[in-house]
Amino acid sequence: MTAVVNPLRPPAGAPRPYHFPDFSRGRMANGLTVWTVPVPSAAMVNVHLLVDAGASAEDEPHAGVAALTAQLLVTGTRRLDASAFAEATELLGIEVSSESSWDSARAAFQSLPQYMEAGLALLAEMVQEPRFDPSEFERLRAERLADILQARSDPGRLADEMFLGHVFDAATPYRRLSAGTPETVEALTLDDVRAHHDVHWRPASAHLIVAGPVEPDAVMAAAEANLGAWSGSGPGHRDFEPAAGGGRRVVLVDRPGSVQSELRVGHLGIDRRSERYFPAMVLGALLGGVFGSRLNLRLREELGYTYGARAGFDPRRAVGPFSAAAAVQTEVTADALREMVGLLTTIRDAAPEDSELHEVRDFLVGVFPLRFETTGGVAMAIEPVAVYGLPDDYWQSYRANLEAVGADDVLSAARDLLHPDEYLMLVVGDASRVQGELEAAGLAPLEIVANP
Amino acid sequence: MPDVPIQRHRLDNGLRIVLSPDHSAPIVAVNLWYDVGSKHEKPGRTGFAHLFEHMMFQGSEHVSKAEHFALIQQAGGTLNASTWLDRTNYFETVPSHELELCLWLESDRLASLLPAMTQEKLDNQREVVKNERRWSVDNQPYGTWDERIQALLFPEGHTYHHPTIGSMEDLNAASLEDVREFFATYYAPNNASLTVAGDFEPDAALRMIERHFGGIPPNENLPPQPDMSIAPRIGRELREVVADRVPLPRVYLAYRIPVFGTDAFEDLTVASDVLGTGRASRLYHSLVRERQLAQDVTVFPFPIVGGASMFTLWATARPGVSHEQLEAGLLSEIQKLADEGPSDAELQRVRNLHAAAVESSLERIAERADRLSMYTCLFDQPERINTEVSRYWAVDARRVQEAMQASLVADNRLVLTYVPAEQPSSEEAA
Repeated sequence: MTAVVNPLRPPAGAPRPYHFPDFSRGRMANGLTVWTVPVPSAAMVNVHLLVDAGASAEDEPHAGVAALTAQLLVTGTRRLDASAFAEATELLGIEVSSESSWDSARAAFQSLPQYMEAGLALLAEMVQEPRFDPSEFERLRAERLADILQARSDPGRLADEMFLGHVFDAATPYRRLSAGTPETVEALTLDDVRAHHDVHWRPASAHLIVAGPVEPDAVMAAAEANLGAWSGSGPGHRDFEPAAGGGRRVVLVDRPGSVQSELRVGHLGIDRRSERYFPAMVLGALLGGVFGSRLNLRLREELGYTYGARAGFDPRRAVGPFSAAAAVQTEVTADALREMVGLLTTIRDAAPEDSELHEVRDFLVGVFPLRFETTGGVAMAIEPVAVYGLPDDYWQSYRANLEAVGADDVLSAARDLLHPDEYLMLVVGDASRVQGELEAAGLAPLEIVANP
Repeated sequence: MPDVPIQRHRLDNGLRIVLSPDHSAPIVAVNLWYDVGSKHEKPGRTGFAHLFEHMMFQGSEHVSKAEHFALIQQAGGTLNASTWLDRTNYFETVPSHELELCLWLESDRLASLLPAMTQEKLDNQREVVKNERRWSVDNQPYGTWDERIQALLFPEGHTYHHPTIGSMEDLNAASLEDVREFFATYYAPNNASLTVAGDFEPDAALRMIERHFGGIPPNENLPPQPDMSIAPRIGRELREVVADRVPLPRVYLAYRIPVFGTDAFEDLTVASDVLGTGRASRLYHSLVRERQLAQDVTVFPFPIVGGASMFTLWATARPGVSHEQLEAGLLSEIQKLADEGPSDAELQRVRNLHAAAVESSLERIAERADRLSMYTCLFDQPERINTEVSRYWAVDARRVQEAMQASLVADNRLVLTYVPAEQPSSEEAA
């Protein structure tokens, strides 16, 4: 561990106070909530439209329809075909994005301030009058299927997908990627996309976030002018209770010829509104969220087994995973896994030393103003407040909430949130070279599964 | 138009300094470019400049191993370093009241790295870097593309011939003596450009820089830059086919082009955006949307300065499309643009995209600091940061056409094709 105080370290100057920018919020007659975050000095404007039309709004037979719907939106409007829409936006220097995650769908762009209103008009047209051209649908669906193949050829992305597939049980939607599986995407039709859009892309529970050198009145007027005629409300997301896919075990995915093994260790974590959110963030950082974290110092700086090790919680509307990850050279696979599991176990034995706690907590607190340097960062910060209904003073009290996490809180979070007897240890590597040592290591029963 | 403030200074030991104050947020960025990259490596020591960069985080006379990261992160800062063909950069962004911490840490390792070096630390970071190579190259689909392109586009003996990450064999050969020699040769204040950007008072910052860096002696015998002169064109078409563990074929095209900083490089940057930036670009429109030959397209020139640069593009074939069809499609679009030049609307599109991209990048003080260091290190002209947009906008259709006709031609072309292998290659299993 590092020294607490280096006598030569130059003393810090007086900190200049920093506050998260004030925002204002208004609600239009159609239910759309409009958040304006004035940042007078900013060079850019960010516009994010969030709709409760993410993957948790779709049913399992249509897994992937939310992602495909979002992607298809940028392929034109009734008035402008796909090429004309791309030209109209890019002539303004704007690249419109549209995508969905588990908890929401997001249509967004960034622009120079003078093009914000023209950009918003095109975004609004795209959301309300999408073209949904059959040939563009077929093209994007085929691209999505090929994307899945491509992702599975990348060992890190394959490990992420396989980890989710085993850490959750068969009834938990989170066990698959939010963009769907090859089987479900293959079966999607343009009517499914139309239906998803018609039902879920509605303003009543949607949020428009605008951050930049803008004023609330002007933003509200622009929103009314462009999105005032949008109407209706959707059923929104499903609620579900994630469940674990099994107990402590090693799952080996054979990838012949691999010179490294991708390791993932973890189990279920917390949801985004958990009372344990702040202790969990500190715990995750202490294990694998900063350079001096336990996993990185041991696996990288002492053993040289990896380019980097990380760990953390991925909280979602429902309980998301906790995981630790590293890519290690094939020869040390079992030993690296034993080291990871060891560190994820001994963290439950004793509270961290003050110096270690300070290193991670002071980082999370001190890095606060760096996170909001860009209007993109500011707009992203409003998203969880809007989507998860966090309190309005969430960012005002954020640093105090972190500061309040003490060593005992970290220990109790480790004891309550980490369960070594439930660790899923997922390995993507060359089975012919690692299976024997994994069995000999005796960490847990070993299961070999096919590489999809 | 960007209007980044610039104040230049130079210490007696040769350290070049750029100060760029901006008080809009209470954060400050420190950025150092050393004029040393993998192009300066000796035969048999490929990868060493990058391995050395790792050693710069292993402590110095007054800083212990891993303490540099710990002190900056505990201060609420972010930091890293990177090595590339021409240069190595080190950078921190911190709350503004911790500016001096960054300057002290950077100066301590420049003044006194060697007392902290040990064989154990070198062996440790050698293994880390070998795992970095496995992770980013050897275990990655299409992972060898850039080292193959460099090896083919630049002949043996030219120091862009080998990749920055280096070979396993050369990494194994690196010694503490190499660390000492490399440090003594290249890590000197007169081989560095230091930028401070963000929330600080220039006079106070200058005094801090003088205090921490002023006593570090220059290297009076800096070696001259390696001779990297090379013919402007390859002289013939080169082709290579690689069987790899990939699900879809991918075609890479690469051309030798004029270096970063020249007008022709700017012209080809505009050409690359007309071809490949955005959904209204020619390659996306034609090959991805209309003809559906490609799953994706990417185009960019490399901003490097040693004799020649590289213009690279790649596209992944849609399932059922052969790499021959895809290659023919790419070549016909390049030829068409070279023949007819971009339209006014196309120029307007890429100019507006470029202006927005520059403003967006410069929102981050770390990016501002990095570009100021870059322009100082490579051209001794930090003010180029404020003409990025005007230089780009000055490129017209005729210039795009002429630059393409000079460089993006058949006898200056490398075609590198990845095809799905039946079996994992024995090379990777070795």
